[in-house]
Order: sequence, then C-alpha cells, then structure tokens
Amino acid sequence: MNQSKTMEAADRRFGWFMSAPSLALLLAVILFPVFWALFTSVHDYTLIAPNFDTFTGAENYISAIQDPAFRHSLGLTAFFVAAVVLFEFLLGFIVALMLNSVERFKPIYYGILLCPLLMNPVIVGLIWRMFLHPSLGIVNYLLTVVGFEPVNWLGSTQMAIWTIIMVDIWHQVSFMIVLLLAGLSAMPKEPYEAARVDGARVYQSFFYITLPLMMPVIIVTLLIRMIFAVKTYDLIYIMTRGGPGVATDLVSYSIYRTAFVSLNVGEASAMSAILLGFILLLTVYLYRYMRSLT
Amino acid sequence: MASITLDKITKVYPNDVTAVNGVSLDIRDGEFMILLGPSGCGKSTTLRMIAGLEAISSGDMLIGGRRVNDVDPADRDIAIVFQNYALYPHMTVAKNLAFGLKLRHVPASEIETRINRVAALLGIEPLLGRKPSQLSGGQRQRVALGRALVREPQAFLLDEPLSNLDATLRSSMRTELIKLHHTLGTTIVHVTHDQVEAMTMGERICIMKDGDIVQVGEPMEVYRNPANTFVASFLATPPMNLLPGRIESVGAGALVVAMDGVALPVPTAFQAAYASHSGKPVIVGLRPEDFHLAAGDAARTAPIDLVTITTEVLGPEVILVANLASGAGPEIHARMPRDFRAKIGQPLTLHFDLAEIQLFDPETTRVLPRPAHP
Repeated sequence: MNQSKTMEAADRRFGWFMSAPSLALLLAVILFPVFWALFTSVHDYTLIAPNFDTFTGAENYISAIQDPAFRHSLGLTAFFVAAVVLFEFLLGFIVALMLNSVERFKPIYYGILLCPLLMNPVIVGLIWRMFLHPSLGIVNYLLTVVGFEPVNWLGSTQMAIWTIIMVDIWHQVSFMIVLLLAGLSAMPKEPYEAARVDGARVYQSFFYITLPLMMPVIIVTLLIRMIFAVKTYDLIYIMTRGGPGVATDLVSYSIYRTAFVSLNVGEASAMSAILLGFILLLTVYLYRYMRSLT
Repeated sequence: MASITLDKITKVYPNDVTAVNGVSLDIRDGEFMILLGPSGCGKSTTLRMIAGLEAISSGDMLIGGRRVNDVDPADRDIAIVFQNYALYPHMTVAKNLAFGLKLRHVPASEIETRINRVAALLGIEPLLGRKPSQLSGGQRQRVALGRALVREPQAFLLDEPLSNLDATLRSSMRTELIKLHHTLGTTIVHVTHDQVEAMTMGERICIMKDGDIVQVGEPMEVYRNPANTFVASFLATPPMNLLPGRIESVGAGALVVAMDGVALPVPTAFQAAYASHSGKPVIVGLRPEDFHLAAGDAARTAPIDLVTITTEVLGPEVILVANLASGAGPEIHARMPRDFRAKIGQPLTLHFDLAEIQLFDPETTRVLPRPAHP
C-alpha cells in the first residue's frame, strides 16, 4: 500500500520531468505572448514609448469599442464570416453530395479539390491579385472577350469585399467538401433503402434522413470554419491592405494597422483580447457540442 | 394483399455477373413463401427486385397483377424488413413507425391508432419513446417488423430478419411470425439461408442456387422428394447421405442398388421406374432417420453393415457417424435413439427403410423419378 503510493508519486514526478521541455516550449510560444498582450492591453504602451509606465485600466478597451473604425471592422468581419461560411457550406454540401454518388475517379476529384487547400494563403492572394488586375488580369480579359464590361475587382469599395469573399470561397471550400464528404460516406446505407420502401422521394430522404444524421458533422464543420474565418488576415494583407479605404478592413488587419501603423500597441492588444474573447466563445461552444456527441 | 409473379426475371450487374438467371415463380395471394439458398444464390437480389430496390435486367414482375418493373419502391405498396433492421437512428421508435404513414399523408389520428395497435401486437409499447440505439437486438427486430406492419402493405418482404438474433430469440420470433401471418393473412416472402426457418415457417419453399430456382414446393414435399442432390444435401442437419452406387439386375426383373459391399433390394413399387437405369451408376440418397436398429418387414428394410467412426450425443438423439463395413465411400450419418451408444471402431448392422430411398443421376445430379411412397 505504502510502497505503491510512493511508486505512484515517483511515476508522476517522472511524467512531469519528461514533459517539462515541451511544456516550457508551449509556455514560451503560446501562453507568454497571450499574457504579454493582456498585460499590454491595460497599459499605455506604444512603439514610440514602449514601456509599462502608465497603467490605464480599461481605457484601451473603451477607446477600442468607441472607435468607429474598429466597430466597422467588427461588423465587416461578422458579415465576411457569415458570407464565406454560408456560401462555402452550401457549395461544399452540394459538391459533397455529388461526389458521394460518384463511383469512378474519386481520388482524382479529391486531388483536384485539395489543391487550393494545400496552397499558402499568401500565394492564393498573389495569384488572384494577378488574375483580377483591372487591365492586365485574365479575368477581365475573358469578360471583355465574351462582351462584358471589365470589373474593378479590388479597386471598388462596393466590389472589393465580395472579391475577397469569392477568393476565400475558392481557397477554403475544399475544406467543407472534404469534411462533409467524410460525413456523408460514413452514413449508413440501409435507412435510405428503408425510406425508399416507406415511400420517401429523393428530396424527402435528404430532408428526413441525410440532414438530421449529418447535423453533428455540419455543426462541427461550420464552427471550425467560422473560427478560422474570423482570423482571416493574409488574404487582406496581400490583396487589398484593407482598402479601398476601409472597405475590406477585417478585424485582424485592423489590429495589425493599429499596432504597427498607428504604433498603438496597447489599444491593438485590447482589440486582440476582444477578438480572442469571440473566438474563445466559439471554441467553447464547439468543444461542448463535440463532448455532447459522445 | 396481393399475389406476386416473377416471369423470367434476370438480374445482371454492371460487372456482367448474373445474380438471378431467368427465374419464374408464382407467389399466391396470402402465401408464406420462403426463398432458401446458400449465400450468393440470388435470393436476396430476388427479394430486392420485388421491393424495387434493385433494377430488373429482363423479365416481368407483377404485384397483384400489375406490372411493377418501372414502378418506384414507394408506389409498390410493399414493406421490407432488413437483416440489420435499418431503423432510422435519429428517430424514436414511434417516429420510426410513423414515418412511412406520414409520407403517405395518413391523418395523425389514424397514425396514432395504427401505431398503438401494432405496438400492442408486438409488445413494444414501452419502447415507443426510445431511440434505436437504446434498444436490444430483439427489440430492434420487433420495431423493424412493426414499421412494416403499421403500413398495412400488400405484401411483406423479409430479408433474413432473424439471422442477427440469438438462438432462443430466433426460435420465439419464428413462432411469432407464423402467428402474425395467420392473423393478418398477408403475403409474406421470407429470404433465409436457414433450413430450419424454411421448414418450420414456409407454406412453400423456393430453393435457389447460383441464380436459378432448383425446386419449389411445400416443405415436406421438398424434404421427401428432393429434386437433386443439392436440395437433398441442403435441407436438414445432418443432410441426406449421398453415396456412390450402381443399379444392378438380379434376374426376373428384380433390381438391387449395389454399393461397396452392400446390396439394397429395390422395392417392387420402384422397380419399373428404375429399370431403365439398370447397369448404370447412381448416387444413392439415404436420410439419416431412415436407419433403424431393428429389422422391420423384410420387404421394406435391408441390413447395412457399418463401422463406427464416432457418435454425437445431442440429448434427444444420437448422431452416429460411420463408414460402410468395406471402409469405402463417404461418411454416413444416422439418427439413433437417445440411449444408443457405440465405441469407436465398433462394427454395427443397421436396417435401412427401403421405401425412403432416393436415387440421383451422377451426371445431372437430378433425382431419378419414382412413384410416391408405397
């Protein structure tokens, strides 16, 4: 009894000893920056005066929330996330349903679909910036060939956010397809046959069987995609720098500008903390939901 | 209720495999028909073609006199019970039962009445609020059956519905299905590879092999007059003993079936039928229960000398496994009374009931026709 207790303690000590290096690394690269940012967010810390001399409490948070530009960014990001997640889901689900009934060449379709997903967002941004160049881009060239007016894809305040949304869909829709397809191919076949004999038409099978059975996969996919979409930064940096004006100034890019253009690291940290709050909320919900499934 | 007619039904899969090969079968209105055969014989494919889940390559399928080849399963008014039950996992038992009725726009009050009636009939009332994952195998089986019953279809198609149950449950479900058929009187087509189910449940058995129908008939008719060696060896455990032999003439029109060291005199009633095969090799079919310890009427029984290989004591009976005394030929199985004992290697003389002998053509494996039992 006594001996087994000491052995257990020794085991535990050895466990901590073995995981110490990786724990230290995690602490250094993840927890430290987070705490540093939280600490900065309650100080008047700028890159002109990089010190923690002035404790400001919630001031940075209040000015961030009262800043119309930041509020615009939050609203725009919400719109962007809703749009990309919705369109990617609809498109992804349709393609996944079609691919699910495909018998031949499945690996080839998979390969083609995965290509965009494997690309770095910076490269995606660069490619599309070239494609969408108002006078030299191939997209406008093709449009004029078939008789349409050229479109100012990234230069128009009306168009730019939709262009970013379209490029993001091109880049990320495969993620939805792959996850939804995995869900679909794991579906049992028998209930469909039972439903056919029970009198269900194709659309009824879809609404009464596919959708309810797919719901866990759909919700998890949507949540994961939302968490990533909220953080979209690279595409904006490469394609528009938040412009024209603030037409594509998503919140991640807005934070970057506050920190490294306006040099106000304190307020940028407060903004990051607010964004972190939103993402944490989504993550907690995702985590809870996934736990409720098992 | 409806009759089901298969007229030269063929199923060829896209990979050129012929699963069902020009099968014709008349299932009468209200009949309990068994499709029996080993796995891969095409019985399930046949059932799925009746249900409409499998397209028919050629031939005509009629349900209640109506050609249904191109009719959607939804419009055939048949219900199917699958081997793995295929319940809707996200719906409660009540919703599983209601689903088919809802799709057919049956009024809610009527749905409730029917669900309650079927639930009472199958004893699943306490389960109505549960999901399939909260049910045992036997309970799921009942729900699957209930889902078919509640629809009150023209015919029930059962695709090995008992094969996932344990032995006790299977036996009680067999009885229940027979009772249900008796109460409802609806046509039932039941696919199984289990010959006990076939013998006990079916009004008629349709035995299939390699996509063809081998024999159709009432259980005892098929049992006593198997059409070929396949049927003879497929029905019952242990199956009919099949031994190589030869018909020989012993003068004055008398024939014997000669096996290694044994000569079984052919009963007078069969002699005319077998006369044309005199001098030719045959396969001799002897049912295990037709071996007796005591000699009976000399005209009906003939002694066979055997050497014991082993005995299997089953309780109600003992299965004797033995060789012919000459040591030649395959093992012979004989059903002995429960007190029978024999040591390994012990020589025995049993008496075979000659009126039960069946002879088969070794080339075609078909039975040599003979008059019914004298």
